[in-house]
Amino acid sequence: MINWRNALMLLLLSQLGCRDYLDVQPEFALDAENYFNAPQDYELALIGAYDLLQGSFVSYWIGEIASDNAIAGGESVTDTEGLHQIEAMTHDAVNLELRSLFRWNYTGIARVNYLMENRDKIDFDGKEGIVAEARFLRAYYYFDLVKFFGGVPLVIDKRLGSDEVTQIDRSSAAEVYDQIEADLNLAIADLPWNQPVKGRVTKGSALGLLGKVQLYRGKHAEAASTLDQLITSGPHALVSDFASLWLAANENNAETVFDIEYSNQEGGSYGCLICLEGNAAPGFQGIRQYDGPFYGDGNSYNLPTQDLYDSFDPADPRRDVTVLDLDAFIASQSNPGSINYAEGAGGHTGFYNNKYIKRLSEIGLPDNDLTSPLNYKVIRYADVLLMAAEAHIRTGNESQALNYINQVRNRVGLPDLQSGGAQLEDDLWKERRAELSGEGHHFFDLVRSGRAANEITGFVPGKHELFPIPQVEIDLAGGNWTQNPGY
Amino acid sequence: MKNQPLNAGFALNPFVQKPLLNVSLCFLFCLGSLAGQTQESFTLSGQVFDQKSGSTLPGVAVYMPSGKRGVTTDLEGAFSIRTSIGAQIEFAFVGYKKQVHRVTDRQPIKIYLSEETSLLDEVMVVGYGSSTRKELTGATSDVKGEELEKLNLPRLDQALQGQMAGVNITSNSGSPGGQSIIRIRGLSTFGDNDPLILVDGIVYDSEGLNTLNPSDIESVNVLKDGTAAIYGVRAANGVILITTKKGSKNSAPQFEFTTYYGIQETTRRLDLLNATEYAVIKNNAFINGGDPAPFANTALGEGTDWQDAVFQTAPIENYSLSMNGGTDRSSYSIGGTYFRQKGIVGGDKAQFERWNGRVNYTNEISERLRFNSVLLYTFEERAALPENGIGSVLYNTINAYPTEPLREDGRYSYLNLVNDLIHPLAQMENTHNRSAVNKFVGKEELAYDLAPGLTWTNRFNFNVALVDYKAFNPLTWYGPGKPQNTAANDELEAPRIEIADSVFIDRGANVEESRSTYSDLTFESYLNYEKTFQEDHKVKASLGVSAFSRRGEGLTGVAFNIPYNSLDFADISANQAENGYLNNTYSFQFRERLLSAFTRAEYAYKDRYLFSTILRRDGSSKFGANNRWGFFPVFSGAWIISEEDFAKVEGLDFAKLRLSFGTSGNDQIPNFAYRALLNGEGVYVWDDIIRTGVAIGRAANDDLKWESTSQWNLGLDIGFLKNFSATFNYFIKETSDLLFQPDVSGVLGTYGPGGYPPFVNAGDVRNSGVELELGYRTPVGSEWSFSAQINGSYIRNEVTSTPNGVDFIPGAAFGVGGNIATRFQESFPIGYFIGLETDGIFQTQAEIDNAAVVQAGAQPGDLRFVDQNGDGVINFSDDSDRVQLGSPIPDFTFGLSLNTAYKGFDLSCHVYAAIGQEIIRNYERQQPYANQLDYVIGRWVGNGSSNEIPRVTTDLTRNNVFSDHFVEDGSFLRIRNLQLGYSLPKSWVNPWGAERLRIYVAANNLWTLTAYQGFDPDIGNFGGPLAAGVDYGFYPQPRTFMGGLQMNF
Repeated sequence: MINWRNALMLLLLSQLGCRDYLDVQPEFALDAENYFNAPQDYELALIGAYDLLQGSFVSYWIGEIASDNAIAGGESVTDTEGLHQIEAMTHDAVNLELRSLFRWNYTGIARVNYLMENRDKIDFDGKEGIVAEARFLRAYYYFDLVKFFGGVPLVIDKRLGSDEVTQIDRSSAAEVYDQIEADLNLAIADLPWNQPVKGRVTKGSALGLLGKVQLYRGKHAEAASTLDQLITSGPHALVSDFASLWLAANENNAETVFDIEYSNQEGGSYGCLICLEGNAAPGFQGIRQYDGPFYGDGNSYNLPTQDLYDSFDPADPRRDVTVLDLDAFIASQSNPGSINYAEGAGGHTGFYNNKYIKRLSEIGLPDNDLTSPLNYKVIRYADVLLMAAEAHIRTGNESQALNYINQVRNRVGLPDLQSGGAQLEDDLWKERRAELSGEGHHFFDLVRSGRAANEITGFVPGKHELFPIPQVEIDLAGGNWTQNPGY
Repeated sequence: MKNQPLNAGFALNPFVQKPLLNVSLCFLFCLGSLAGQTQESFTLSGQVFDQKSGSTLPGVAVYMPSGKRGVTTDLEGAFSIRTSIGAQIEFAFVGYKKQVHRVTDRQPIKIYLSEETSLLDEVMVVGYGSSTRKELTGATSDVKGEELEKLNLPRLDQALQGQMAGVNITSNSGSPGGQSIIRIRGLSTFGDNDPLILVDGIVYDSEGLNTLNPSDIESVNVLKDGTAAIYGVRAANGVILITTKKGSKNSAPQFEFTTYYGIQETTRRLDLLNATEYAVIKNNAFINGGDPAPFANTALGEGTDWQDAVFQTAPIENYSLSMNGGTDRSSYSIGGTYFRQKGIVGGDKAQFERWNGRVNYTNEISERLRFNSVLLYTFEERAALPENGIGSVLYNTINAYPTEPLREDGRYSYLNLVNDLIHPLAQMENTHNRSAVNKFVGKEELAYDLAPGLTWTNRFNFNVALVDYKAFNPLTWYGPGKPQNTAANDELEAPRIEIADSVFIDRGANVEESRSTYSDLTFESYLNYEKTFQEDHKVKASLGVSAFSRRGEGLTGVAFNIPYNSLDFADISANQAENGYLNNTYSFQFRERLLSAFTRAEYAYKDRYLFSTILRRDGSSKFGANNRWGFFPVFSGAWIISEEDFAKVEGLDFAKLRLSFGTSGNDQIPNFAYRALLNGEGVYVWDDIIRTGVAIGRAANDDLKWESTSQWNLGLDIGFLKNFSATFNYFIKETSDLLFQPDVSGVLGTYGPGGYPPFVNAGDVRNSGVELELGYRTPVGSEWSFSAQINGSYIRNEVTSTPNGVDFIPGAAFGVGGNIATRFQESFPIGYFIGLETDGIFQTQAEIDNAAVVQAGAQPGDLRFVDQNGDGVINFSDDSDRVQLGSPIPDFTFGLSLNTAYKGFDLSCHVYAAIGQEIIRNYERQQPYANQLDYVIGRWVGNGSSNEIPRVTTDLTRNNVFSDHFVEDGSFLRIRNLQLGYSLPKSWVNPWGAERLRIYVAANNLWTLTAYQGFDPDIGNFGGPLAAGVDYGFYPQPRTFMGGLQMNF
């Protein structure tokens, strides 16, 4: 028989005895604290760390739009407003695009650090290679940060808790650069010249990035030596046809030193641009509401300026490969009257970026503005030659510099240069603009050569060499970081 | 019994591994030992009459106060009940005084009830027990099922709108099967604001309210204040207790058949430009932009009316049959309903169908043991269109331009001039989806009287849903360059995809199918005790435990290359994907649990001073070991002033002052939010193949705990002049430790694909408000009857703190890629609107040149913005010149119900109003060729022409920056329901075997008073609290005209 006493006892017992009842563990899910148990785990974590490379379109856009090469464009002046501000040199510490760049690079760093934190958990053949690739990626992400913001907080080989973030300060640019060089030197030692898998970084990628970093630091002798090593020992060469270099069909050729890989096989949405597997830039840079042959339609971003178009020697075939003069192109078609396009209210120059543009033959899945398979060519051999030339000019070896520059010129059928001194330096910068415009380098070339104030309207020396650290990031880190000068 | 040792069955059952099972086993075991529990008793029968008229009273509750047993009188006022000599039987009926009868012999009795002046003795369901209206110390609101049923609305939540003070319902969509948002006493958190919903004690999710049939409901009671904390960690957003219909004992089967059929149409069409107006305005815009005018001839007539093409009338219908009755020991209520609603946009493509079956069975197994079983079964099926967002059918309809014909070249037109618009009719034709839900909800409950006044209730609740979904996505072609195209060309050929170097395959039409299963199981056991000592001291107590578990699992498959791009083959089994290469599968599963103990003690002295306390302890698997357990106390008291001698005032029938304070919780966050899982997205391309790696998803936070809400409530209930009642509440509700995913420093590296910042407890929100409910009803039995209920609520919502370093949480964006227009920010309401304030229009260049404030790029005809910080410059990129432009939260909501009846006729009306909220007009596509609302006809065209509506131009302009130009007053008043009915005289219907036959005509959403220009001002928050009040082209609620009948036999 039951009475109220044992009823009560039953109620109490059920509470005391049920402590385990709430101990629900995740099922069929990998836990972050209990991973890296097999070689495969390291490779999968490495893929996660590579993923953030695909957000490079922001840094690439700003490299063009901040310079005199391009305007922001788009649907309206409030469409990606941060780019419009950068175009006008009115940008301040509230800028969504700069914030994305800051966050995405640190996410890449955190994913590398997660792998590095666990790198001694097991041993297996090939781990050195994976760790070397991870180091390269960390160097790449930090270089993007230091290039834009100067010194940033250094987080190495560990994950940061949310309470720790207020305790770290900005490191100096030199400290960040030292870390980048250290990572790259270790990576170079363990990376092969040739990877069996297309898209994984090579010894050449790491040498190319290291040479670039040394050049940006002003370590010209080291840069010359690093880049010479890449040129003389590496497998790279210029491809003969400059125009075909930009087609998806010809990617990963001898000129590729480091590419960021994209695919057209996964659809995407505007809601999460960093989630894309396609390259967002070609679709965004496509011709607005274009209905005609060869090109697809797009969002008219990052439009080349008249200034860029006019900077080319009319005999230079690279002009029309780099800049699409849309009206001239339409007029040259068999049925120009049936071809339509629209001008975006965010600005119109008549020119489009012809290197990275949506072409009908390279369409991805819907929304195909977001799913271009075009790889972003971060470092190609022509750039390596011109960087090496720059390093040699700075260290007084003008003949070697001329040799490199002329290789680049000869490829597009232009005659050798014979100049020297200040003229050679001037010729080098002209050559870099002609060869590399539309690829996101020009703003940093102008800053590095001290010519930005002369070429960019509104550029304030002592301020605009660096971009402001997003104010919200300073606040979220406890408000202790010093903002870059002038902002 | 007293000194018996614990039953061996208990001692041998350590509650460790599977306690739920064990508790149930023990419970069954206990049942076994109950057999043979009987006492000397007999069945007493009788009949109840109205004292005044002498007519019989059906539906009177007849029960013995010691136990919970009771029956109700049948249509003849007759009853029979098991009782014994010397026992007391009580008779209670709405509007009548309670009467007590002491049983002296076994002869049938006649009881005459006299009218009561108030509803004070009505039994109210509260958590794990019941109370009377008189004895309640908490703030509640309730509504009867018949009030809801009368509205003929598809969903219970729609029917609740405007019925109760403090319970605010907004519609998330007018589409069939679309959801509403239920908010009890305001928005209190950034995250989940849904109240806890219990149907006969069974946990029901607010999404699932679709499956509930409004006509199955007996009553709805809402716990609004701190006393809701009897439900602990899930009660912070209030608790809705829904009771379904039950049968009456000792009554012959009574059948009820109800049906209605209606025709729906849109409540509104937008005033858009016709072709002529459009051409004139676009010419003006292009010329202003320095471009040639696109229309040489503007005399284009009316052009295409896209709304005409898209909106249609659509039927709504409902058929319901129910049977109630009982024997001397059992009662039953069985019902079935079929409901179907088609869409006023899309017809069959936006359709909702529902079949309900219901069984409620009670049985007195023995004198002391009662059994109650509830089973609700639902099958529902829904088809839905893309709605309420950029790319929705109505968005395309609004922005499609009138100069485009509906068809050209034998196909739907392409709307080429605006790239991201597609033909809305083509879009609807290409949309094929169906979701179906099989839902089983029920409980098995045993209540046992351990001793006089002491009852032990054990129950097992279940809520199982099988959800099937299928969508067919054919290859589509909407015109050259449309992002929505899935075909390669207008021949609907499949695009070729390169899967490896120079290896191409077709990517044809695909079909997605998924099945998910969700099951909630709850076991609850509690003791209720009630006793009166020395006449003046009344004590009630409850003590109980509850174990809740929820499981979910699902499997989804996507298969490509459906033969012939045809719906006839839209099944995964028919796919012809080459080697299955593109096909994909996904799955998910989760478990969550809750373990609780609770107690409530109530004490009343002389029926005058009432005190109550509730303590609840909850453990939730949502949190880590650091913070798994929570404790939730409530204290409340009431003083029935009208019982005091000094308050015996003529005209004042009843007065009660209430005060309560309580704390409750909210644990509605994803499972395992406290720990880091490798469920981020780490995907990259190697060898042209997409490789899936791993990455951390949400960052961990070991210290995560529930958010808590503390609430003070001061209330007053009065009854006066016999027929009037009033309830007043003032409350302050403070929510702290909000469960949040605020921005964290980017350095933490949580902002990658599939990565999220950690959940933290941060931020506070305060809601305070006043609620008033007034009621009037003519005395029962009057030939002409009239009743009116008015309720009103005033709410003030304010964010009182945000997490450290976070100035605000950004919400919804305005336009495409435009400014963030809504925020969660300290000192402002949740989701308030922020932007530039305008101050008329620049009329001349001289005015711009001489203005004290520099506004970059301004031209005559442009909006003039206000320089809020006085620095002489309008800053478009930071906050210095932005101000609050509105709030989506109404200041005041109001409901009015009027009912009148004379002879066989009855007339009722229900009105709802929400006042003081704003809406962002965000459905206008700011594209050169998109159509516009006709207010642009009044645009600025020269000095003095307009000081409100800016010029039109295709050139660079700041007129489209988010400003008060795009914010409208969203206040409205709506006649929700108007109904006229006639009950045929009994002498007509009785010969057909019917007891009662009522026929009626009704209209829903008959008329709306509002200044808002959009489709429907009653818009909810499609996409979270920060998207509230942002109109993307809302699917409007239909206006429905219907006729119906109710027949009892």
